Amino acid sequence: MVRVYREYWRINILTTLEYRENFLMWLAFMLVYHGSAIATLYVVLHQFPSMNGWDFRQMAFMYGFWMLAHALHNTLFSNVSSIPEHIRDGNFDRTLVRPLDSLFATIATPGQIFPDELLLAAFYFGIATWYAGVHVDLAFVVLVPLIVAGGALIDLAIDLAISTLSFWFVRVDALKWITLQLEEEFTRYPIGIYSRSVRLVLTFALPFAFMNYFPAMYFLHKTDSSLPLPAIAGVLTPLVGIVSIALAYGFWRVGLDRYQGVGH
Amino acid sequence: MAIIEATDLRKVFRSVVRGPGLGGAVRALFARDHEEKVAVEGVSFGLDAGELVGYIGPNGAGKSTTIKMLTGILVPTSGTVRVAGIAPFDHRAANAQNIGVVFGQRSQLYWDLPLRESFELLRAIYDIPLDRFRQNLAHFCEILDLERFMGTPVRQLSLGERMRGDFAGAMLHDPKIVYLDEPTIGLDVIAKEAIRTFIAEVNRERGTTVILTTHDLADVERLCRRIVLIDEGRVIYDGPLERLRSEYGTHRTLVVTLAEASSSEVVIPGATVVHHEMSVVHLRFDRRTTAAEELIRRVTERHTISDLAIVEPDIESIVRRIYTDGYARPEALPS
Repeated sequence: MVRVYREYWRINILTTLEYRENFLMWLAFMLVYHGSAIATLYVVLHQFPSMNGWDFRQMAFMYGFWMLAHALHNTLFSNVSSIPEHIRDGNFDRTLVRPLDSLFATIATPGQIFPDELLLAAFYFGIATWYAGVHVDLAFVVLVPLIVAGGALIDLAIDLAISTLSFWFVRVDALKWITLQLEEEFTRYPIGIYSRSVRLVLTFALPFAFMNYFPAMYFLHKTDSSLPLPAIAGVLTPLVGIVSIALAYGFWRVGLDRYQGVGH
Repeated sequence: MAIIEATDLRKVFRSVVRGPGLGGAVRALFARDHEEKVAVEGVSFGLDAGELVGYIGPNGAGKSTTIKMLTGILVPTSGTVRVAGIAPFDHRAANAQNIGVVFGQRSQLYWDLPLRESFELLRAIYDIPLDRFRQNLAHFCEILDLERFMGTPVRQLSLGERMRGDFAGAMLHDPKIVYLDEPTIGLDVIAKEAIRTFIAEVNRERGTTVILTTHDLADVERLCRRIVLIDEGRVIYDGPLERLRSEYGTHRTLVVTLAEASSSEVVIPGATVVHHEMSVVHLRFDRRTTAAEELIRRVTERHTISDLAIVEPDIESIVRRIYTDGYARPEALPS
């Protein structure tokens, strides 16, 4: 499996480099794209010097957590969101005749993936950490990668669950789009500003709050009295990630048996 | 020893029924009627290791559905499959290691990269020992003449070259069984021949079991001793190609060239005119009721002829007849 994965990345990078001009244009585009995303965030957040007790710097740090986890997910697991497409055009057949777990085989199908988004997100996170004045100690260095990995698993679990639905409904674009919008909307501000039911959903149903809100709270030494969770919840993200992906994987296995393929 | 055993395989697809047009589509949003379509209706057969079998049927007969159940892609609605002792859909990964699959219309090669990069990835996926990999690759390069384009990005290969690459890719891990789904579709005569030679050689030299589904019956005539015919989800014939020919190929065609072109009708007792253009007349007759000599005598009594030939039915016309005449339904067919 390790060899397959290494080979997968080799092919990805080779494919990206095969089209040199496209790659350079893509890099330029990514810089502009992420730059403007951060600029927009800066403008939006600056309208609210303080929100629910969070100041601008703290919200920028919180956003960094989400951005990093989301970028890690996009870099490692982007193939999962193309599953519905492959189911529809029948190319999913090929995945099922590989001597690998079908989810792993899906994730390790080479395309043209390059870790540019992840590098930018890491850069942004570094700046935001410094800007928010978070104390960087050994615990921070050990915990942040684990939390980010957990956050990426949460993202993956939700993505996988939605993709799995396409074994029944074939097209799930609308649901996918709505979830991404919700995710982008609700990870930008401290969830304390939302109603109790939204907070509960973001904590227990679609646990996006574990990608950034709780971890940021933990490192900024904040407490949220509105939710029945202690501050330590911020470092439970890896656990939440593992539980989420386990559930989503179980659902995926059920869906696989329903696969009808295309044609007869 | 049976390497593939399918017993009473059945596959039912369930789909939403929509009325025609936009109105129908809107109605289907609210009231969903489901329709069940039986794609495979109780297919059973066994294959011995080392066999090369043609699996044939018209579009929609259930060929690909059967193959997908054998390869573990689809879960049968009922019935059992054992491939090299394994139930494919319960143990997809283990089964995949034993099989090679070539989908003629779907490449497994990486479009943007040279052939050799795809092979490297396959080596990792199937965990092929390096010396075995090199040995196989060298062998395939030789029979399929791959060397010339190993370094060319796949997108720049011709269809024939790409298919050869796909074949090599499917065989690198020494599969016990290969499933070839329309492997020669769209290929020119020379490329077809190269692929056929390769299939025959792999089957003979390595003892690989081959299941071939194809529309091109020339593939079958050239390669398979045994064929399984399927129609409307059922096996309607399973046996040697020769027996099919002798049992169903009872009609011969006598092609007569008349000494002079005639537009008047040609009537010969015991034969039907199936084609008549200028001086050439095609007469179809049943060899069980009419002897060829007798027919020729009848023709020469009535016409002056300059040439004649007896055409044996090719497998294609036999199979076409079985499908169109529909007399070879399961109950009517000795199998």
